[in-house]
Amino acid sequence: MHHTTTGEKILRGVLITLALVFFLFPIFWILLMSFQTNAQILRIPPSLFFEPTLINYTSLITGELQTAAGSLKLEFMHNLWNSVILSTGSVLISLLLGVPAAYAFARYKFRFSEDIAFTLLSFKFAPPLLVLLPLTLYFQAIGLANTYIGLIWVYQLITLPLILWIVRGYFEDISPDIEHAYRIAGHSWAKTFMKISIPLARPGIAAAGLLSFIFAWNNFVFALVLASADKQPVTVGALAFVTASGIQYGQIAAAVVISITPTLALALFAQRYLVEGLSLGAVKG
Amino acid sequence: MFDKEKDLIDALARRQIGRREFMRRAGQLGIGAAALSGLMGQAMNRALAQNGDYDWKQHQGTTLKLLLNKHPYADAMIANLDSFKELTGMDVTYDVFPEDVYFDKVTAALSSGSSEYDALMTGAYMTWTYGPAGWIEDLNSYINDPSKTAASWDWEDFLPGLRASTAWDGMPGSELGSGDAKQWCLPWGFEQNNISYNRPMFEKAGVEAPADMPALMAACEKLKGANGDVYPIGVRGSRSWATIHPGFLSGYANFGEKDLINDGGMLKAAMNTDGSKAFHRDWVKMIQEFGPKNWSTYTWYQVGTDLGAGASAMIYDADILGYFMNGGDNAEAGNIAYAAIAPNPEASAPTPNVWIWSLAMSSFSNNKDAAWTFMQWASSKEHALFGARTMDFVNPVRASVWKDQQFLDRIDAKYPGYIEQFETSAPGAKIYFTPQPLFFDVTTAWAAMLQRMVANEIGVDEGLDQLAESINDQLSQAGLQ
Repeated sequence: MHHTTTGEKILRGVLITLALVFFLFPIFWILLMSFQTNAQILRIPPSLFFEPTLINYTSLITGELQTAAGSLKLEFMHNLWNSVILSTGSVLISLLLGVPAAYAFARYKFRFSEDIAFTLLSFKFAPPLLVLLPLTLYFQAIGLANTYIGLIWVYQLITLPLILWIVRGYFEDISPDIEHAYRIAGHSWAKTFMKISIPLARPGIAAAGLLSFIFAWNNFVFALVLASADKQPVTVGALAFVTASGIQYGQIAAAVVISITPTLALALFAQRYLVEGLSLGAVKG
Repeated sequence: MFDKEKDLIDALARRQIGRREFMRRAGQLGIGAAALSGLMGQAMNRALAQNGDYDWKQHQGTTLKLLLNKHPYADAMIANLDSFKELTGMDVTYDVFPEDVYFDKVTAALSSGSSEYDALMTGAYMTWTYGPAGWIEDLNSYINDPSKTAASWDWEDFLPGLRASTAWDGMPGSELGSGDAKQWCLPWGFEQNNISYNRPMFEKAGVEAPADMPALMAACEKLKGANGDVYPIGVRGSRSWATIHPGFLSGYANFGEKDLINDGGMLKAAMNTDGSKAFHRDWVKMIQEFGPKNWSTYTWYQVGTDLGAGASAMIYDADILGYFMNGGDNAEAGNIAYAAIAPNPEASAPTPNVWIWSLAMSSFSNNKDAAWTFMQWASSKEHALFGARTMDFVNPVRASVWKDQQFLDRIDAKYPGYIEQFETSAPGAKIYFTPQPLFFDVTTAWAAMLQRMVANEIGVDEGLDQLAESINDQLSQAGLQ
């Protein structure tokens, strides 16, 4: 058994601290900026000491932004709500469709199975703008333009392939023996899938769900092209702080802090499942 | 509305009383700022209706949808939109997108033939793509039709350089505003490129606003180090068309230099003439010695922010950028002054290249006549006055607004030298680019070469020869040569 020496412990501590500073400093700096006014942020030279203000958060929440050119209306909270609807909706639908499909691709060999799986993956290869212009025409023709349903449908291009391929890998790694044992005990296929397969693949489903949620949350171009201003997510809405009369750095920082909160909360929540799933294990080899 | 308030607003509209007197009396009557804006809109309606030369109600019940850029011009229009609805009985909805993504949205909407938007904001350069592609309407058929356009709308009141700059016959290299040019859009608000400077910093360094390029370089020399770490001059430097069109092209044109020349219908790059090389040498030296450290990343925002925050002593960029930096929560608000510049010591006047925010009509609109009614209203004298007097709807595109005493008094009081710089340079203000479909390719290549020159990766003479050769290749491949 290997024992770590004090030197190794110190070195490890230093390296972890450096890594943490490297990754977390920008977020820490943004957090500080979110409590400063534009004038404080832009002062020369910059300073770590300032009188904190909540004005950035209040203007985001109340929807009023004071700029050099006067008062501007902000739709940030509405944009945030749009992001929640679009990302949650698309991940839920992808899970509903993708998990059974992933199971089928993992467990059954049927005609064209690989081709179909690859075709679904290939949706991720297409440059979005190439798909979007024809889609705009179709969406207008069938009345889906500028609707949440239409956007969630298009978001499947992002979320469905991701969920399908990650979860498929998890199902393939789980031995079918447990499922067989459960089936022999007289349970139906559907019950086996729900009671055995899904719980075993839960870490994979959680990871895939989380990852696709992040991808959907960060998407920019789909809603920009296919929807009006009232359906825009936070990624497009945040650009409203870049105005002709100046950049509102304080509000941008506050917007970043608010907009990473749901993803962060979800990641912390899903982490439990990830750890739980990995530590419990399934079948001993 | 009560008679007293109505009389007061009408008196202001008829210019019987001044702005200060108006504000005093409005205060006495207990009228707040928001109510004031609404009342002024109503006064504007009465003025338009009284003209009696246009049936504003003819499209009553129609709903229009606009595509707008997040800009003070759009804000001024939205603030006054209720008065349009009241005047016409029409409904108007709109989508506002930030500038960073605005033109992507416009291109996507127009290229897909979407009928969603009836009218939109655009820049004049963009119409060189949108117009020939058939995405936007030639407005001449509306402007010249007395049954569709009110006589009092007065097209001749728009500044002539702007009318010409927004009209093109679609032939690469032909003169903007030539005889058979199509009017692709209506000028709405515009920017001239001149000097905006920090007055206290100039006073501390003991320099005056520079009137030409040698004076500019001499001023920069004195400003360097005179105010701590403040650098003397901010100009744009990102790898984009936006680096070429403000101060750079304004100065370049002042020496009589051109981007392209039209040689019997064939376009040819003209950046490698002796005159152009001399100007480029000065410009590159100016950035290297007196510009910002990260110049190659500088866009509108960084140039403006540095002036407003007191990191730079002056900018050679849009006058309205300097205007915005003189207000709000900018550290240097109140310290900015303005001056026209004719970089060529032998030039008789400045030649600012202009950016014109304009209104265009989508060819795919199902409500074109109604859209034209809106465009007339939004570009009317009355709305221009409303925006110029009460909002940041500057620079106005109408000559009559530049004669409005209330507007002039307001600007003169808060923005020293602004009116003078405008009046000095307005006669020479127009688009100095050659209109052609490869506009964005040519200007991006130009900015990229400028970056290499500033980084000392290539000499100015050699760089411009290479640039001209590569642009000639592109023009040839596109069949323009």
